[in-house]
Amino acid sequence: MSPKTLKYILKRIGLAVLTVWVVITVTFFVMHAVPGGPFMSEKAVSPAAQAALEAKYGLDKPLMVQYITYLRDVVTKFDFGPSLKQRGRMVIDVIRDGMKTSVKLGVVAAAVAGAIGIVLGAVAALRRNKLIDKIIMVITTAFVSMPSFIMGSLLLALFAIRWAILPANGATPQGLILPIVTLALYPMAYITRLTRSSMLDVLGQDYIRTAKAKGVSGVKIIFGHALKNSLIPVITYFGPMLAYIVTGSLVVEQIFAVPGIGRAFVSSITNRDYPMVMGTTIVLAVLIVVMNLVSDILYKVVDPRINLD
Amino acid sequence: MKKILAMALALIMVFALAAPAAFADGSSIAVCLASEPDTLDPALNSAVDGATLVSHLFSGLAKWAQDENGALVIVPDAAEELVEGVVNDDGTVTYTYTLRDGLLWSDGQPVTAGDFAFAWQRAASEALGADYGYMFEVVDGYGTDALNVQAIDDKTLEVTLANAVSYWNELLAFPTYFPVREDVVADEGWATDPATYVSNGAYTMTGWEHNSVITLEKNANFVDADTVLMDKIEFYLSDDANNMVANFKNGTWQLIDDVPTNEMAALKAEYPDEYVVAGQIGTYYVCWNVNENILPEGCELTGVEAENARAEIRNAISLLFDRNYIVEEIGQAGQVPASSFVAMGMTNPDGSQFYQTAGSSDDFDGYYDVSEDAFEANFDQAIEVLKKYYDFDEASFTFTNFPSMTYLYNTSEGHKAIGEYLQSALAGIGITMNLENQEWATFLNTRKNGDYSIARNGWLADYNDPICFLDMWTTASGNNDVQFGKGDHADVAAYSLDLTDLGIDVNVENGTWADTYDVLIKTIKGCTDNEVRYELMHRAEDLLMSTGCICPLYFYTDTYMISKDVDGFFSNPLGYKYFMYCTIG
Repeated sequence: MSPKTLKYILKRIGLAVLTVWVVITVTFFVMHAVPGGPFMSEKAVSPAAQAALEAKYGLDKPLMVQYITYLRDVVTKFDFGPSLKQRGRMVIDVIRDGMKTSVKLGVVAAAVAGAIGIVLGAVAALRRNKLIDKIIMVITTAFVSMPSFIMGSLLLALFAIRWAILPANGATPQGLILPIVTLALYPMAYITRLTRSSMLDVLGQDYIRTAKAKGVSGVKIIFGHALKNSLIPVITYFGPMLAYIVTGSLVVEQIFAVPGIGRAFVSSITNRDYPMVMGTTIVLAVLIVVMNLVSDILYKVVDPRINLD
Repeated sequence: MKKILAMALALIMVFALAAPAAFADGSSIAVCLASEPDTLDPALNSAVDGATLVSHLFSGLAKWAQDENGALVIVPDAAEELVEGVVNDDGTVTYTYTLRDGLLWSDGQPVTAGDFAFAWQRAASEALGADYGYMFEVVDGYGTDALNVQAIDDKTLEVTLANAVSYWNELLAFPTYFPVREDVVADEGWATDPATYVSNGAYTMTGWEHNSVITLEKNANFVDADTVLMDKIEFYLSDDANNMVANFKNGTWQLIDDVPTNEMAALKAEYPDEYVVAGQIGTYYVCWNVNENILPEGCELTGVEAENARAEIRNAISLLFDRNYIVEEIGQAGQVPASSFVAMGMTNPDGSQFYQTAGSSDDFDGYYDVSEDAFEANFDQAIEVLKKYYDFDEASFTFTNFPSMTYLYNTSEGHKAIGEYLQSALAGIGITMNLENQEWATFLNTRKNGDYSIARNGWLADYNDPICFLDMWTTASGNNDVQFGKGDHADVAAYSLDLTDLGIDVNVENGTWADTYDVLIKTIKGCTDNEVRYELMHRAEDLLMSTGCICPLYFYTDTYMISKDVDGFFSNPLGYKYFMYCTIG
């Protein structure tokens, strides 16, 4: 690795840390500025009980002190504190439980989207304007333009109710099939279209023509030259796709009752469960920042011509 | 193409094999009430779904049960009998309970009276800060360091109440009163993990996949284990009504506790025997901020006259809303139009409905006639009242100088639809009411602080006694959203209270809210004569309703779906559901 690349990577890591810190700080103060508190309920608790709870969780201290304590615990002890709403549970446990399912969901969805998307895209490009290309384009256009909550409800109505061949809730392993499909369809369609146009672009390049002229076999041209180079834009899509899957899973987890991190995240906000809001935000922020970083570095690795600065 | 089709078919068949084919056998039931409960610690729980779970896991001194006619009754559970109290010289009442023989915790240790005493002290303590800590308000010593409750020996529990309360036995069946063991709850996370969850009821918790499913299995150590018919209950955790319906329709879940409003009519038609609307003790209402000035600009009334005028105006506006339209067209869940605040389901000592004897009219129940036929007359009456205070333009049939107001509600399609109806009803006579929605926690904060003019509100009973609808409106109550006795209203001496006819030495004329309502509630809480007590509660509601600050719209119902294969299911008026005596046919 050249010193220039190393410098770039270090700089990007520094920026990533800064980004996460900004996210933590902004979330912390905005969260506390929003009216309402974690111990507020329809049936009011007595002021004495409320004070006792606030003291117990350190919410009676000045905001700046709470902020510094929080940051210190997270950085030095990796301690995200207790949940204020689910009494007796630690935030880190809730996140770990949720991530187990969400990561499974996200990774499988991303893999499915990538594998099928690239194949379909390549097929469409190689059979340009043939029937198969047109079919693929019509289907992917439909998937790209259909929001996940509609796609999810549609799949639920068909597979879980009309034909009743798949469970409607994500409590069992089979129950994850529908959410994974729902989550994968949009990025799959997007990757198909990306691969197709990029492949068409590459196929028109001089070096492909040269290879053909030199008598290189069709398979070798496609896999050795065309496909490899046409995947560069797909790699850049890796970061945004992850962001889509993370945010998309908020909706999908709700529709299919999947016990993932998305539901924990949303309910923590309505509950004003401060440590839970912080914990889930940090985890999701780190995830997205890291994935973008990886995607940028990969970009550089596959295409050495790219000037990182 | 054929190949692809064949592949797809094959794939679907593989999935079909993997899907749960036989959804339920006779010894287990799968239900879905709500999403992940905040807690399953009986002392900390304040949710209805949590109470259902806790009622299966724990056994208190008393419990809800069905008698041979199917009527709901409170019967002894861990106690040998529900004894009568002994009145002491100072008016306090002492109850001495004997525990049944053979009571065991799920880990095999004996249940002692000390466990009950410990649990009650803990639940009532400020240090725990439980939402329902105030359920021990009736026990002598509440608010001090310790409740007046002792374990005389391992089998004898003695508790002293500040005075007799008619709903004491019902409190004993309330989850906050269930026992917990000191060494178990010493671990703060005890109630979050089946490994540390020790209970004494019909079931033990054998699994909790967070946000997914909680599994209860029959507790072999339970003293009445032979009466428990259902071996295993799976509580699936979801709050998505559409998802619940999907799982009900394909037979995965046998009971779901929520249905999407826009599908109610269709579900009712499609599943007439399985779609259930049960009574629930609660009222959906609109509350005014008592300090909001709604008199027209230039109105010269001040002080008591101004408040009396506002009360008359607010009461008139309550007559402008067609409650039948609201329940039939918007609510659609079998709700009952309400004309009083204390909800349907609350009973008088003679068993009659409290709301039917509320108000002073013999012609209708409650404070105004909410039958469909009466709406026109109500409307005309309201217009006549409002004409006394506001300029009325006969040509356009509108009031021209009613100050514009804002209706605050928490974000939800249902609340919005009702807000829009109220808005249109008022707009019809020239009154402008803007709508503002806030997210739940923000909304609670705003409403509690009185930073609103009119707001959506609702109240569900904690126990079957009207006092839980009435004591929330005292000046110092944390639920006094109307702001009675606060701000300017603190000095408004517009209320009268004469209890001398009941032999109580209270006679206030032109008193403030604190002089009258607060005193009345205090008198009710100290009253030992049940007949008098209920008369006092009716008077408290009369006083409350006279302010016009509470505009009841309907009494809540609990809509759920239960598979027709399930026998032996029942629920109580608080919405708790009982599966232990269920069988699947």
